[in-house]
Amino acid sequence: MGGARCASQSHTYHFPETKRRGGVVTQLQQVLLQLETPYYGHPYFITGHALYSAIARRVSPAVKQALQVSTGVFVPGEYGVRPEACSDPGYAGKLGTALPAVETYSDLFLLRDPAHRWLLDSRPRDAHNVQAVQDHGGRQVVAPECWFGKPAHHRNARRSVQWYVHAYFHAGDEDGILPIAETVLNSLQLGGGRNYGFGAVSLADTNLVELDDLSYDRLQDADDVVLELCSPYVLSSECPDADDQDVPWWWDVPEQGLRRRRTRLVRGDEEYDLQVVDHGQVLGYAGNAPVVTAVNGVLGVGTHAKFGFGEFRLRPTEGDRVAERVAAEGES
Amino acid sequence: MLAVYRHDLHKLRGRSHLDATETLAGQRVNESVPHGADRDAALLSRPGGHPEQTVPAHNSPFRLSLGTGAQVIDAVGIDALGDAVQEFVTIQDAATAHRAWLNSAVAAAMNESLYYPYTSLKYHVLLTAALLDAYRDGAAFSDLWLALDDPEDGLTPHRTVLHTDRVSLRLTPNPGDRPAAPLGDTPARSFADVWTRLPARPAGIDPDGDRRWRILDAQLRRIRAWSTALQYLEDCLSAGTVETDTDRTPIDGGWSDAI
Repeated sequence: MGGARCASQSHTYHFPETKRRGGVVTQLQQVLLQLETPYYGHPYFITGHALYSAIARRVSPAVKQALQVSTGVFVPGEYGVRPEACSDPGYAGKLGTALPAVETYSDLFLLRDPAHRWLLDSRPRDAHNVQAVQDHGGRQVVAPECWFGKPAHHRNARRSVQWYVHAYFHAGDEDGILPIAETVLNSLQLGGGRNYGFGAVSLADTNLVELDDLSYDRLQDADDVVLELCSPYVLSSECPDADDQDVPWWWDVPEQGLRRRRTRLVRGDEEYDLQVVDHGQVLGYAGNAPVVTAVNGVLGVGTHAKFGFGEFRLRPTEGDRVAERVAAEGES
Repeated sequence: MLAVYRHDLHKLRGRSHLDATETLAGQRVNESVPHGADRDAALLSRPGGHPEQTVPAHNSPFRLSLGTGAQVIDAVGIDALGDAVQEFVTIQDAATAHRAWLNSAVAAAMNESLYYPYTSLKYHVLLTAALLDAYRDGAAFSDLWLALDDPEDGLTPHRTVLHTDRVSLRLTPNPGDRPAAPLGDTPARSFADVWTRLPARPAGIDPDGDRRWRILDAQLRRIRAWSTALQYLEDCLSAGTVETDTDRTPIDGGWSDAI
C-alpha cells in the first residue's frame, strides 16, 4: 500500500519497480521541497512549467520528453491534524514538513489545498498560512520563513515557520522515468531572479505512490460527488501545437458560471497567452465513472497537462471541505 | 438595529463582556443580539467551543496585523479609542452607525477576542449586523450569499460588510445579477472557500491586470476567518498593495498594557 516511504533524514531512497496496468503507468512521485531563499514568481503556486524547466535542464532527453509535473503548492511547515477523510486521522505533529503516507485517494490532496485546513485551531492558523511578502527593490517576493514572537519566559524568544512546496510527477506510459533522482531534486532554483539567488529549494522528502493501490472507497460509496479544480484548466492557448477546449461535458457548471482568467506560459524566450478556468472552483460532477475520473484528475486533463494544468479532485458531497459545517450539521 | 452596533463597545474599551457596563453616556450598550446573529458571526471567524490562547505572547485586545505582524493600535493611537466610543454611542440612527463602522479605523485596531488576536472587531460587528438584518427579514443562514457589488453603486444599509473605492462586498439572500457565492449551510470559518467559489473577481482588484492583486487574491485563498480576511483585504487596499514585512519579523508578540 501507498508506495515507498522515504526517510528525509537519511536521504537514501529505495524505490520499487515502476508498475504498469494495461499499458498505463499509474505511478506518481511526490516531492516536498523546502524553500531556502525568497521566491519571486507566480503568486498562486509554483507553476508546473517552472518546476519542469528546472528539472529538464538536468535530466536526459528521454526523461524530459516523458516527464509530467504538477503545480507546486506552498505549504507551511506547521503542526496539524489529519482530517477524517485521510487514512490516519488525528493529531499529526509537524504535518507540513514531511510527505504524508498515501493510502487513500484523499491522502494525495492533504497538502494541495492552499487553505490548509489541517492547521491547528490552537495556534494562529491564518497567520501561519499567509505568506510573508517582502519588497526587494520594488519586486514583491515571498520569504522562505516567517518569524513569530513567543512569550517572554521562553528560552528562545522567537520561532519561525518554514515554507515548503508540494508537487508530484508522473511519466505517462513511459517506463523507467521515475523516480527523478535526489541529486537532481536537491538544489533546484525556481521562478525569477535566480541569478540573484532567489527561488532556491532543497529536497525535504519524496516517495512513490501507486495510484492502483489507493483506496477509492469514499468515492465509490458516495451517492453524489463534486469536482474541485486544483489547478487552472486551459480553454485556449496561443502555443503553436495547442488545441482550444470546451468545458468538459461531465462538468456540471453552477448557474452563475465559471470564473475565467488569463495567464501566461513562458517557454524559453516566448510567452504565450492562455485562457483558463481559474483554480479553486467547485462544480457538480455529471459523469458516471468517479474512480476513473478521479485518477484522470490526478494526472491532469486538457491542454498543457504536462505542466500541471487541469488537475482536479472529486469529493463526496456529504464531506464538505469546510469540516466544521459537517460537524455542525451532525449536532443539530 | 442600533443595538447591534453597540453590542461590542466594551471591546473598544478593552473590557470583557462580563466587566462591561450596561450604559454609556446614558445609552444602553452591550445588549445581547437577537436571532443568534452574534454567535453565528463569531463562528465565521473563530472555532466553536472553549477558546484557546493562540498567541500566548499577545494576550491583548489589540489586533495584530496579518500583513506586518505589528499591533495596529500603535499607528492609531490609544487616545482615539475613547473618541470612537463617544462617537459610536452618540449616533442615534442605525444606517449612520453602519456607515461609521464601515469607515472606522479605530474599530480595526481591536480584535474580536483576546484568544484570536488576528481577528477584527470592526468586521465582526459588520458581519453581525448583516446577519441580523437578514435574519430579521426572514432569511436563514443557509440562504445567504456573498455578493460583489460595484463600489460606485454605493452601499446597502447593514448588508454591506466591506466598502472601499475598489471593492464592495455584501451578504444577501438575493444576489440578483451580481456575482455571488453561497455561504454554505452553517456558519464556519469559510472565507477562503467562499472567495474561491466566487464566479468573478472584483474589477477594482482584477488579478489579470496586476501582479499586486494576484498576490492579494492568492493570500485571500489562504485565510479562513472572515473578520481576519476582510480586514486584511481592507488593509491591503488602503496600502494600495499587499502589505510587506520590511524587517523580516512579521509577527512580533509584544503585549502592550496601555489600556
